[in-house]
Amino acid sequence: MITQMLLRNHDKKVLWFALAILAAAVLVPLSNLLLPAGNPLHVPDHMVPLLGKYLSYALLALALDLVWGYCGILSLGHGAFFALGGYAMGMYLMRQIGPRGVYANPLLPDFMVFLNWQELPWYWYGFDQFWFAALMVLFVPGLLAFVFGWFAFRSRVTGVYLSIITQAMTYALLLAFFRNEMGFGGNNGLTDFKDILGFNIQAGGTRATLFAATAIMLALALLLSSAIVKSKYGKVLVGVRDAESRTRFLGYRVENMKLFIFTVSAMMAGVAGALYVPQVGIINPGEFAPANSIEVVIWTAVGGRGTLIGPIIGAVLVNFGKSIFTAAFPEFWLFALGALFVATTLFLPKGIVGTLQQFAKARDERKVAAAKEHAYQEQAAKSAGEDGLASAHTQAAE
Amino acid sequence: MYRTIQIFLVALCLIISAFATGARAQEDIRPLVDALGQGGFPQKIEAVGALAASGDPKVAEILGLLSDGKLFAPKTGGAVFLETDSGYADVLTGAPVTDVPGNLQKIRLNNGLRGAISAAMSQLTLLSPDRGARFAAAQDLLKEANPENLDLLNSALAKEQDAEIKATMEAARAVILLKTDASFEDKEAAIATIAARGNRDAVNILNAAFSSAPADLQPAIQAHIDGINQKLAIWDVVQNIWYGLSLGSVLLLAAIGLAITFGVMGVINMAHGEMVMLGAYTTYVVQQTINSAAPELANFSLAFAVPAAFLVTGLIGIGIERGIIRWLYGRPLETLLATWGLSLILQQTIRTIFGPTNRQVDNPSWMSGAFDFGGMSITWNRMWIIVFSIAVFFALLLLLKRSKFGLQMRAVTQNRRMASSMGIRTPWVDAFTFGLGSGIAGMAGVALSQIDNVSPNLGQNYIIDSFMVVVFGGVGNLWGTLVGAMTLGIANKFLEPYAGAVLGKILILVLIILFIQRRPRGLFALKGRAVE
Amino acid sequence: MTTVKPAALKTTNSILYLDGVSVSFDGFKALNSLSFVVEPGELRAIIGPNGAGKTTMMDIITGKTRPDEGIVYFNGEVDLTQKDEADIAQLGIGRKFQKPTVFESHTVWDNIELALNRKRGVFATLFYKLTPEDKARIEEILETVRMTARKDDLAANLSHGQKQWLEIGMLLAQEPKLLLVDEPVAGMTDAETTETAVLLKEIAKTRSVVVVEHDMGFIRDLGVKVTCLAEGSVLAEGSIDFVSSDPKVIENYLGR
Repeated sequence: MITQMLLRNHDKKVLWFALAILAAAVLVPLSNLLLPAGNPLHVPDHMVPLLGKYLSYALLALALDLVWGYCGILSLGHGAFFALGGYAMGMYLMRQIGPRGVYANPLLPDFMVFLNWQELPWYWYGFDQFWFAALMVLFVPGLLAFVFGWFAFRSRVTGVYLSIITQAMTYALLLAFFRNEMGFGGNNGLTDFKDILGFNIQAGGTRATLFAATAIMLALALLLSSAIVKSKYGKVLVGVRDAESRTRFLGYRVENMKLFIFTVSAMMAGVAGALYVPQVGIINPGEFAPANSIEVVIWTAVGGRGTLIGPIIGAVLVNFGKSIFTAAFPEFWLFALGALFVATTLFLPKGIVGTLQQFAKARDERKVAAAKEHAYQEQAAKSAGEDGLASAHTQAAE
Repeated sequence: MYRTIQIFLVALCLIISAFATGARAQEDIRPLVDALGQGGFPQKIEAVGALAASGDPKVAEILGLLSDGKLFAPKTGGAVFLETDSGYADVLTGAPVTDVPGNLQKIRLNNGLRGAISAAMSQLTLLSPDRGARFAAAQDLLKEANPENLDLLNSALAKEQDAEIKATMEAARAVILLKTDASFEDKEAAIATIAARGNRDAVNILNAAFSSAPADLQPAIQAHIDGINQKLAIWDVVQNIWYGLSLGSVLLLAAIGLAITFGVMGVINMAHGEMVMLGAYTTYVVQQTINSAAPELANFSLAFAVPAAFLVTGLIGIGIERGIIRWLYGRPLETLLATWGLSLILQQTIRTIFGPTNRQVDNPSWMSGAFDFGGMSITWNRMWIIVFSIAVFFALLLLLKRSKFGLQMRAVTQNRRMASSMGIRTPWVDAFTFGLGSGIAGMAGVALSQIDNVSPNLGQNYIIDSFMVVVFGGVGNLWGTLVGAMTLGIANKFLEPYAGAVLGKILILVLIILFIQRRPRGLFALKGRAVE
Repeated sequence: MTTVKPAALKTTNSILYLDGVSVSFDGFKALNSLSFVVEPGELRAIIGPNGAGKTTMMDIITGKTRPDEGIVYFNGEVDLTQKDEADIAQLGIGRKFQKPTVFESHTVWDNIELALNRKRGVFATLFYKLTPEDKARIEEILETVRMTARKDDLAANLSHGQKQWLEIGMLLAQEPKLLLVDEPVAGMTDAETTETAVLLKEIAKTRSVVVVEHDMGFIRDLGVKVTCLAEGSVLAEGSIDFVSSDPKVIENYLGR
């Protein structure tokens, strides 16, 4: 049933975009591994994990867009789900180090030996298995989102209140993960990974594969999001965003609607974090910082919330800009980021993609209006027919 | 009667000897000083005693030099010289001496000599005319409680006029008495004297004395220990409440401006923390300016900093409202993002101008130090910040309830369109309301500069807490903010001893998140149709 | 809250039964021991000055506000004070707001589709597919509210009157047994007002309808039993001529 849903009528643009991402999943690794370093099309070694990082950020932004753009829930705590997914992956990678750590303890990670711990805490069990860690990548952020959302949505905490308590949530987690007693490496976090699924994490081939995995995941998430958004459920979500009480009075359980998308979105964010960690090589409590979560919001806003392609473009563009800025004029990055926040909200509230769509729509409408002048009566008579239905659907998708 | 006479006689002797020593000329102690360089250790110990007995004001300094190993004498005995960076000098006058004997060597010390020096020093400082020195010496004695000092202490006690020092000395005497074989009554009195101090030190002293005390004295000691512990437990609670109020007042200052912009205008100002930070930097600039232009006013620089900070941040606030926020009314989430961006810009601006490191803002003399209140010590700066925050709170309340501006502000809050058609310039009310909120944040910055590091990140540390206060207390009601701030402050301080500072904070956050589920609009929420 | 169900109630077959309902906000009594009954198939008009408690009454029936005391029964057996909005909507009570509330970023068609009385769970909607019956039903409703020509337009682009009609169409799609309509002709032209009266009368043939309105001409057009509320309780009830000649009603409402 789910595959059937995934293959359902997608918007053409989204489909093309997903294909483009899949193409990148193939082309970037190939170019990196096969082309000689001098070739103008060669992707240099350091670029591969960097691009992978951008794409995992894009996945995070897409996840946020599902709740913010489509359901009106501005989460300022999505960085927490991302970081939890990252920690789950990091725990797997830590266990893979085995006796190759500085203290050569076959079971305990170095930081635990350093803290004089004698045995592995219970919540580290199972993380030596990849399948278990992968499950936890989905489960832990999903569970947190479910519990948090269950409380928040049932008692109808909305708007800025919700934003503030999501921020408090990630802040509390930030403080918690800084503590050594938590057993997640304190403020150093988890790092010094050696291999993943038996492959050396530093090797070119592994890095290229990780990039490909990220791109494929992103494409899949894009299709999944598109399927969700285009379903009747997606329309209900937009209804909740625009007129929550109307949705309620139509008999929809708004809290359940929100809870489902919030949980799905948190799981997506967790996957993004899990893909991020092996490519960046570290996960530490800094990822829980409220500032990080707000930055995700701006990627989404710049690209265009309420569109599926927007957040992906926004995340890649802003982070690409960040890489350039922090290398060339590190002093000015915060000015630029701050200005981006202000300028986007003031001048580009729909984001890049949203604004482009608006232009395109205005152009189409002018054309249609001209056509309508001639055939208004005909169209009115015909409108109950087949083509009217189809166009209703394509329009709703945007 | 006999005791009185004895004390009188001792006092008389001391007075006479004090007069005598005062009358003696400086040169009179030169032989005594030179004696330090002669003979073996027993002779030297005697010489130290003689020096101390002379009562000359220079003696303490000389003994200090001796114990530091700065004094030299010929191997064969003779005049003592002071070693300086460039050669030698006269010990008494400090004048350089060039023709020194060839066989100079450092005057060596052994433990006996060191003990003699230290005893002589405490004797000298106990009788020193400087109050601070005497107090320090008395406290040292209380800590060491060496029975050898008993006589010295007795004589000092007889002379002492200052009540605080006298109490310390009496306690020291009591502790010493417990170590000697004084009579049962004396020891009982001594225990009472110690117990009267009523602090943790007293408990420690009594605990230490407990085992060595005679059996018939032990119940009394135990009773005193229990009594003090009980009192201390009560004071602990009082102290926690005080710390909580102190933290609460800081939260109140930081949150009250936010309560205005959020509660009255519905605007989430993420740059609020940066307004606090700017207020702190204004304090720094004002202080620097006054220190260089009019140092005699340095103690009152805060009096200039408060209005300056209010004006600076208030004007910046009005600028922000006119420039950014007014375009975003009705879109609270966008306002949140834009003001967050603004906070990044403000932080980086300050970092560029003042550098990323902490700036030193001095406490004026009337805000430094502490005083004792019952079983706890209260620092003046915390005290003044509580007073300040309460003053700001009530001034604001008065402004909102009694002034024309406050009336207009409340009118706009309740019904913007109606207010506007009544001739109220709602855009200006908005601008000034935002300016007021920001200005109060600036004043909070002045207060925070006194207890926290003034750095570009100052505001970041308070923004989430302030939001919690506003959300917890409820929007649109200043009393809610007051109660919210104080409750969170006190709850934090009560959780800290059990859970630790970090875990306590996490607990508070979790509790607030849960609380919001129960009461989504805070403690003091508006009800009815007006809410929608 | 007093919610002990009186035994006698089982026998009443009224669609809506309110008795002794009171609610206050910060000391202000919005409803003061209001009692009010609507029979199945009845079309009832409610008038009353501002602040009489009309909207609050609707809030209580639809579960948005909980009464401090009093009983509210639907269909003679369901205690509405124990249910929330979604439950009550699924029981078959539809509500039209004073200000037209439609999904502005959806097309007219999607608005009706969302309102259609089908399973409303997360997964039911996630895997929902438009069946031929549903399609026919939507087209039928569009025809009823005269919106067929505009079915592909975004609701945001409709005029005020059209939004009112779309909202009524959505309520029809919901297939309620009881329809609460708050000021349906506010801001409509005279022609639209007359047409709306016709539409409501047609709708009332198959279900109960409660209409709150200020427009006395419109009420006269409906020609049904009228209840006048004031200060949170019923002032007078009867035909429009009876109610409008009541001296209390004139003093409280019409005379002003």
